[in-house]
Amino acid sequence: MTEPTDFELLELATPYALHAMSHAERADIDRRVAAAPAPVAAAFADEVRGIREAMAIVSAATAAEPPAHLRAEALAVAQPDRTHQLRWRTAAFVSAAAAIVVGAAAFGVGVLMRPHPTQTVAEQIMTAPDVRTVSRPLANGTATVMFSRDRNAGMLVMNNVPPPAPGTVYQMWLIGSNGPTSAGTMGTAAVAPSTTHMFNNLGSSTALAFTVEPGNGSPQPTSAILAELPFG
Amino acid sequence: MTGPRRLSSDLDALLRHVARGDREAFAAVYDLTKTRVYGLVVRVLRDAGYSEETTQEIYLELWRSASEYDSAKGSALAWLLTMAHRRAVDRVRTEQAGTRRESRYGAANVDLVSGPAGDTVADSAIAADERRRVLACLDALTDAQRECIELAYYGGLTYAEVSQRLATNLSTIKSRMRDALRGLRNCLDAP
Repeated sequence: MTEPTDFELLELATPYALHAMSHAERADIDRRVAAAPAPVAAAFADEVRGIREAMAIVSAATAAEPPAHLRAEALAVAQPDRTHQLRWRTAAFVSAAAAIVVGAAAFGVGVLMRPHPTQTVAEQIMTAPDVRTVSRPLANGTATVMFSRDRNAGMLVMNNVPPPAPGTVYQMWLIGSNGPTSAGTMGTAAVAPSTTHMFNNLGSSTALAFTVEPGNGSPQPTSAILAELPFG
Repeated sequence: MTGPRRLSSDLDALLRHVARGDREAFAAVYDLTKTRVYGLVVRVLRDAGYSEETTQEIYLELWRSASEYDSAKGSALAWLLTMAHRRAVDRVRTEQAGTRRESRYGAANVDLVSGPAGDTVADSAIAADERRRVLACLDALTDAQRECIELAYYGGLTYAEVSQRLATNLSTIKSRMRDALRGLRNCLDAP
């Protein structure tokens, strides 16, 4: 026999499947389903599955073409070779110890979440539960940072950003309460149509900013900020 | 119609390749699903910038967690769109946490069936007859049922917030949502 509380639980399958409840209530329902008699748990799972299949079909009604530039940005995460290469190319501003600490901290979580052993720093950021993304126009292109406060790291993806003029570099700054701290530079050769760059120590910085600097870069910004990506 | 089913069996196979780190399969998944994913996200978030960021996060999660997809638990398309919807709802709740509740309720007024014609597409991956069939099924719901789905699924409101918003008791809202989904599933002939 189905108990009244079981009935109530099954009735919540619809808002559960539609994400129409708080995280706390969702977690509570997960616990109740796990503790429910097997037929009730199976009926709940069936109902949730059926609703999700229906809403997948319903997505035809809201289909909309994304902007063309989004394709390269979305697919950029699947470039482990490039990410790996640039990670080492830009390692000068990263202490090796910090990189090891970040890697070790992410490893435990990564193993649980993904069986693949190919854990680049980029993937460690992606697997962070608190990963966030922020995008801003930069020159004629787009700069996007995916970052994780938990991992204390971020990954910059630049699309269609033209290289800086010869004799200058793009310089990146992490903006903190004590002002800007240099987070590396990119010269003409480093800027490709799709370029990635890792930040292994976000600290308490609140934004990433770009300037154009002469030569190989400056200790402090000497020109106006081209773009600022807030970590808010 | 077999449109979504065939798409889903293609996606099943592609996701197995993505799980092994196949970048071409990942690009193919993006091309097959981008209009459904982005369209759903932009309908929930109603902001192009947030929608682009969230869509990137969705494909990033797909890339890293494709190996977690289990075809015994549902179709690949449902798996992806469930994840996409969860991320869109989380984002809309985050963005609106600091703003007045009223503005969120205002934004949740979605005209689902007639919709703005400008932001939809005739996508080769989504046959026109499938789209018509879905719209007809949404149209077949009662106004009250459709309103519940609009506020909860596209507006990102919890069922408790839908109840407050409509000044209707919680058990009525739960029944209405359940009946709306039963009606939709019957009409769509979704298992």
